[in-house]
Amino acid sequence: MNKTVNQKAWFFVIPVFVLVAFNAIIPLMTVVNYAFQETFGNNVFMWEGTRWFKQILLSERFHAALGRQILFTLIILFIQIPLGIFIALTMPKEGIGVSVCLVLMSMPLLIPWNVVGAMWNIFALPDIGFLGHSLNALGFDYNFTQQSGDAWFTTVLMDVWHWTSLVVLLSYAGLRSIQPAYYQAAEIDGASRWSVFRHIELPKMKKVLTIAILLRFMDSFMIYTEPFVLTGGGPGNATAFLSIDLVKMALGQFDLGPAAAMSLIYFFIVLTVCWVFYNLMMKNEGQS
Amino acid sequence: MIFTKLYAAAETNTWGSVGKAKEKGFFDFEFITWMAWTWQTAAFFIFIACCLIAMTIWEKKKPGGSPRKGILGLDTTRGDRLFVSLLSAAYIHLGWLGLIGPMLWIATIISFIFAFFVFRYV
Repeated sequence: MNKTVNQKAWFFVIPVFVLVAFNAIIPLMTVVNYAFQETFGNNVFMWEGTRWFKQILLSERFHAALGRQILFTLIILFIQIPLGIFIALTMPKEGIGVSVCLVLMSMPLLIPWNVVGAMWNIFALPDIGFLGHSLNALGFDYNFTQQSGDAWFTTVLMDVWHWTSLVVLLSYAGLRSIQPAYYQAAEIDGASRWSVFRHIELPKMKKVLTIAILLRFMDSFMIYTEPFVLTGGGPGNATAFLSIDLVKMALGQFDLGPAAAMSLIYFFIVLTVCWVFYNLMMKNEGQS
Repeated sequence: MIFTKLYAAAETNTWGSVGKAKEKGFFDFEFITWMAWTWQTAAFFIFIACCLIAMTIWEKKKPGGSPRKGILGLDTTRGDRLFVSLLSAAYIHLGWLGLIGPMLWIATIISFIFAFFVFRYV
């Protein structure tokens, strides 16, 4: 039977295409246009060539923000991934405990990001907040609004609280998909708890962990709302991560040109990491 | 507030014309003046569009995307190779700007040579 070629289905793609055009392609093109020009508003633009890119690439401020961003992302990955796996391993496998744990774990994920920031801001205030007040009562000199170390500690703690559950849920799903036969075989072989983890559970969780690391990397690398509400990038610039610094430059100083150049560089970094992880995931797919 | 007053297209502006309203010409597309098009950036996007069209025609002529395992050990198709080429071109240009500075066109040439090798071997 000959099938007739019918390309009309492409019309169904048009709505999505229009949507993507308006929320991604056209804004991105505009950012590219802005990155090469200077403006003082009123839609008057002056051609500046590659000046902004040069300025951003050589700017101490950008290097510092990028450094802070990478450090933050690495810290939370090194805490959240092992902690998430550990919690997933200790979660009950059956019974009522499963639902209780799953619901409790999902709670932080359901809270809007700015609410998380506000909650932690009040929670950590040194004079009235439970965390801040308790720490000071215990003799620690804790004040996240004035000491950059404390600001970092609070931001990291907040992110760990907010997002470790995501790693837990993904790891738990990975663990549940392992056939009991593997554990039985390990038991017959007399494998230790560690080798069961190292040679059965970890390899089986590889796929979900890749996704977990990618999601956590992207979210933390683009983090804005929570530290904005919690510390506003302060004290000074101590917690001004890339997005916060970018918004300061674009809206605070109205330096649209440099901000556009900076967002493009930011975009390239994110794109590269996505590409690397995409290839890792495809490799995992190919192996299974 | 800032973007409500409309002025003429971006290319004609110089530092001398800051703040001066211009006559509205026939080709002033008021609804996109906020996009601040310049012929350089337009040329860039037209180049990208041409790349995509060329890739589509190539795919029509030789379907399948010629997948292979390249020197990076990755399974790549033509589309992947175009993506890698474009992303590398961005990094080559940025690297040139940051490390060397003038004569950016050399970076463009390097990017094209690099893209050739990506399409050939990666």
